[in-house]
Parts: sequence; structure tokens; C-alpha cells
Amino acid sequence: MTPRAPWHPWAMLGPTLGLLAVFFLVPIGVAAYESLFSWDMLTPPRFVGAANYVAIAAHGELFHIALRTTGFSAIVVAGTMTLGLGLALIVDRPGRFFAWVRASVFSAYVVSWVAVALLWMWMLDGNGGIVGRALHGSPLGDLRWALPALAVVAVWKLTGYAMIVFLAGLQSIPPSLYEAAALDGVGMWGRLRHVTLPLLAPTAAFVATTSLVTSFQAFDVVRIMTQGGPARATELFVYAIYEQVFLDLSVGRASALTVVFFVLLLALATVQLRAWRAREGEGR
Amino acid sequence: MIARRALLRASAALALAGCAPRSRAVREDGRVVVTFWYAYGDLVRKVMLDLVSRFNASQSRVLVRAVHQGDYFEALAKLRTALAAGAAPTLSHVVLEVVPYLARAGVLEALDGYDDARAIPFVPALGQRGSFSGADNEPLVAIPFNRSTPIVFANARVLEEEGVDVPRTWEELADAARRLTRRTAGGDVRWGFEVPISWWYWVAMVGQAGGRIVEPDGRITLGADAGVEAIRFWQRLAMDRVMRPPPGRDYQAWQSSNESFLQGRIAMMWSSTAYVRYLEDNATFPVVAAPLPRHVRASVPTGGTMFVVLRAAPDEEKLAAWEFVRWMCDAGQTIAWSTRTGYMPVTLPAVERLGPWYARHPNDRVAYDQLAHATPWPWSPELFRIDRDIVEPRLEDAVLGGRDARELLREALAEARRPA
Repeated sequence: MTPRAPWHPWAMLGPTLGLLAVFFLVPIGVAAYESLFSWDMLTPPRFVGAANYVAIAAHGELFHIALRTTGFSAIVVAGTMTLGLGLALIVDRPGRFFAWVRASVFSAYVVSWVAVALLWMWMLDGNGGIVGRALHGSPLGDLRWALPALAVVAVWKLTGYAMIVFLAGLQSIPPSLYEAAALDGVGMWGRLRHVTLPLLAPTAAFVATTSLVTSFQAFDVVRIMTQGGPARATELFVYAIYEQVFLDLSVGRASALTVVFFVLLLALATVQLRAWRAREGEGR
Repeated sequence: MIARRALLRASAALALAGCAPRSRAVREDGRVVVTFWYAYGDLVRKVMLDLVSRFNASQSRVLVRAVHQGDYFEALAKLRTALAAGAAPTLSHVVLEVVPYLARAGVLEALDGYDDARAIPFVPALGQRGSFSGADNEPLVAIPFNRSTPIVFANARVLEEEGVDVPRTWEELADAARRLTRRTAGGDVRWGFEVPISWWYWVAMVGQAGGRIVEPDGRITLGADAGVEAIRFWQRLAMDRVMRPPPGRDYQAWQSSNESFLQGRIAMMWSSTAYVRYLEDNATFPVVAAPLPRHVRASVPTGGTMFVVLRAAPDEEKLAAWEFVRWMCDAGQTIAWSTRTGYMPVTLPAVERLGPWYARHPNDRVAYDQLAHATPWPWSPELFRIDRDIVEPRLEDAVLGGRDARELLREALAEARRPA
């Protein structure tokens, strides 16, 4: 199809490009620029060159933030995918009971992050929470267990969504394939391995991507449940940026962190896109 | 369609109002409106709002509108962002550590010329001059309001059962904590001692170990050896498993300690005098308050917040805000505030009138008597950054993560001396 005038495609792209520029490209540009200054929003900014990057890299701070975020994401992605798939396989059955179970599991996903965080804080409370009492103390105060505890909360919230997507994937597998496999004498495990899982691969990729993105953006749970503590054990990327700019009022350092975060996400997205393309190529 | 247009117009007006410096005071029914951002929760918030409505009812020129902004640090974050956006309130209250920084940034109104400002008979250790060292020549920008010191709270019943006295020295504290800690077969623990691993208490201990955060000549030392000794004492108590650092950060940890204390899960804790009334009213056992123990000397920082009037507000609003602040400093209000919360009375006439009341409420008196050993804060614009950005996160690293105290403070010092 050839456009009637050369500017037509641009006019069509215009609104999206405009939005992208205003809410994405310009802010990233501004962040990159501001990362070269020391600025507390109250006194005039001072040019410091790469000092902000040096400061966030010092004492391994940046490395630790990235490591924590990746660890958190790994637990969240693995947890939601495993539980989501497991639950989908269990509840993919007719009947009112299973409908009720599906709705219950999914309901956690509908609740806001803030409500989920408050609910879990209450359950994990070492003084009176059900889970906290059982564990003889809140894991949120423990250096090793605080981050996994937050990840478990995120898994708890996101599993419902993963389950629904997997259910949709399961229901789109033609029953004839199972029938054919059964005629060939393939057992239950064999059908799962050779029919269900391969055909669910695109669904799984979708769930992995969405939960990865969500886990990288985690903020509310950290803000409400631990504020990054104890000893920065739960300081994830987005929270670290928030803390730098709003609590420590270092706009420069927060901007430097933002730029690094952007580059990290860009790299991740590129890897993922490459993987997708390679797979598509395989298919053809 | 009309609704959408109205919405657009309203948001445009709002955006413009946010950007332009306000030159005219906000009025309502002919009264000047003072927007007051405050950061109290629970009981203290109730007492505060009660006083505000009493002020509003007492006259018809000024209307104070109190807006809750979360805890001290959340409120401060919002205040600084609002200042940058030109949308600051008329009046707020801030922790002492940030006053020198805000003063240097030029966002606080100098109050020297306001009616009576230099004549209010503040308790010397609690006014701006007494609360800061090296601030004698600074303009008056901060008026004491809810002022506190850290004190010991102990469960008197448990102490009596175990035959333990309230400790007066660090060594006695370590010993008492050990004797008061009890473990049940089921894994439950009653801890002997609990203190939030936080800046305020560390500063107290640095003072008690004979150090200073900033030397009189302005050099930042973070207490040098005393800073290390303070952290090592905490590490020792944690390692001996007789002290539990409460979970949560900032005031979440404080709140958690209060709850554990009220449930009898800890025998002694360090907390703010601000909680005297709350703990006494909610405990099912007698609560006894005591001064913090000494080490090489007795020392406590003062805490709480001070009123600040924001310079960017229109003159009329600033005058109106001052009228409210001045009213709050009258003995009647100071006494009401102090007796209903646990904060110290900030003026001498109020202290005088509280004599008989103190005789009946000895716990309320502890913080005030402890002022004899109060160490003023250095008037250092770097103080807040040192507190929040540099020291606070490392304290937990040391106590929970077991990192070497000396190495950690060396790292903190390098960071503190590096320009922000």
C-alpha cells in the first residue's frame, strides 16, 4: 500500500509519537541531563559530570540494587509461572466448585498492591499475625528473609493472573491432539510433556514477560512493607530511585539510577526480542 | 462536553496556581487561611487537631487548616518537593536535623522581627539557640513545639519479678537485658531489651561514649572511636541474643516496639518521651520511665520537631501563621499538649505550673530532667544528609548484617566528607 501523500504515515503516527515523546523520550533525556548535576531541588544545580554515577557505583551499591532486583524478579517469575501453571492444570475442569476456586485465586490479582501489602504486613506481624506468630517473628525484619518474603507476596498476588492466562492457553489446545495422543497410547504425563507444554510455550513466554515487567516495577510492596529495609535488603530499583529523589533529595543520583535502570531494561528487552525472533524463524 | 471543558479549565488553573508564586493570601469568610502541614499519627494527631480547632474557635481573623502528610520523613519529602514546585504551605514542622539545611536553602522565614519572637520564655535547651550549637548568629527560623528526648520504658512488673533494677550504665543494661530475656520451649521469646536501630539512639550512645557527630570546628567525625563503640555495644547485645531490633524502618519500627512492649514481649525499650501517655494508658502493667544509661558520661540528643514558617508564603499568611505559633506557645496550650502526649513543655512558665502535676506523674518528668544532659545538634547543613543518607542505612548493616563497625564508619565518613 502506498500513501497518497508522503506525510500521511507521519500524521497517523503523530499522536503516538507525541505521547511517546512527552511521556517517555523527553523525560529520559531530562533524566540523562540531570544525572550530570548535583541538585537538591532547593539550591541551584551544580555540574558534577559523572560523579553521580561514580557515587552510585561506589561500595557496590548499584551492583547490589541490580542483584536484589534480579533475585526478586527471578523468584516472582519462577513462582508465578509454576504456581499459575499448576493451578491452571488443576482447575481446568467444569463444575461450580472449580469455577469458585478459579474466581478465588484470581481475586488476589484484582486487589490493589497497597491492600495486598497491608494485608500481608498484618499476617506477617511478629506480634499478632498468623504467619508471623507461626514463624516466631516477622521475616520482614530479617536480613535474609525480607526480600524472599516480599517476593512471596508478589507471587501470591500475580499467580491468579498467570493461572487465567494459562487456562486460556490450555483451552485453546485442540482436544483432537489429546485424542490422537491417547489413541497412540500416550499416558497422562506423556500428554502433558508432548502436547500441553509445547503448545503452551507462547503463553508461557507471555506470562514470563508480563511478570518480569511487573516484578521489575515493584514499588508499592516495598514502600509499604519494608521501606527498603532492613539494612537496604529490600531496596529494589524503583524504590531506590524514589528514595534518592524524595527522601534524600538527590535529583542527580536518582537520575543516574534511572538512566542505568533504563539501560538495563533496554538490554533485557533486546535479549527477549532476539529470543522471540529466533523462535519465530525456527517456526518457519 | 461541558463537564470535560470545565475539568480542563480547572486543571489548567490548578497547574498555573501551582507554578506561580502566590502573592495574595488565601481567604475564607474574611479569615486568612494558614495551611499547616503536620506529621502526627494516632493520639498525638488527635491532640493536635483539637488544639487547632480551639485556636480557630478562639478568634475570627485566622483559620488554620491542618493537613496530614504522613510521618516526619514523608512530610519532609512532600514539603521539599512542594517548595521546589512553588506550592509550599504557610506553616509546617520539621525535625531538627534538617533545620540548618532548609535555613541555608533560604526557604525558611526569619522570625526575629515578628511580635514577641525573641521574648518567648522558652526552656533554654529547647529553643533554637539552645538546641543547636554554633547557631548564635543565625536568624530565628525554628520555634520549638513537640520536643522530646529518648528515655527508657520498662515493664515494672517484669522487673520486680526478676529482681532487676532499671539500668543506669551500659554494663548494667547488658546485664539487665540478659537477666530479663526468657525463652519458652515453644520458641517464643520475651526479650530483655529492644531499641530501633536508628540514628537518634545511635547519636545518644555516641554522646554517652564521649563523642560528637560534628566537632565544634565543623569537622565531621561521626563520633570517631565513640561512634564505633556505640555500634559495637549494639552488636554485642544482638549477638548475645538479649536485644531484638524491631522490624520495619523509621516509625514503623518504633510502633512495632511499642506494640511488643504493650504485649509484654519485651521487658525494656528505648523510645521517645512522646509515648508516655500512650503507653501508660494502654499497658496492663505499671510502666516505669527512666533516663538513658550513661557510659563515660550521660548524654541525650533532643528530638521531635520545630515549627517553621515558609518564606514563599504571602506576608499576610505568614503573620497569621505566627499568630497561631505564638498562641501555641502560651502556657495553656503548651501544658495541654504536654500532659496529653508526653512531649516536654517548651516554655518556662508552663514548666513552673506543671510542678504539682509532675509530682503525680513521675514518668512525664524524666525527659525534662534529662535535659540537663542534652547535647545540642551541630548547626550543620550537612547534618540531615549524614543522618538519612549516610549513617541510618549503615547502622542496620552493622547490627543486623554484622559488618565491622570501624570499617563501616570509615566508609560513612568518606561519604559524608564528599560533597553531595
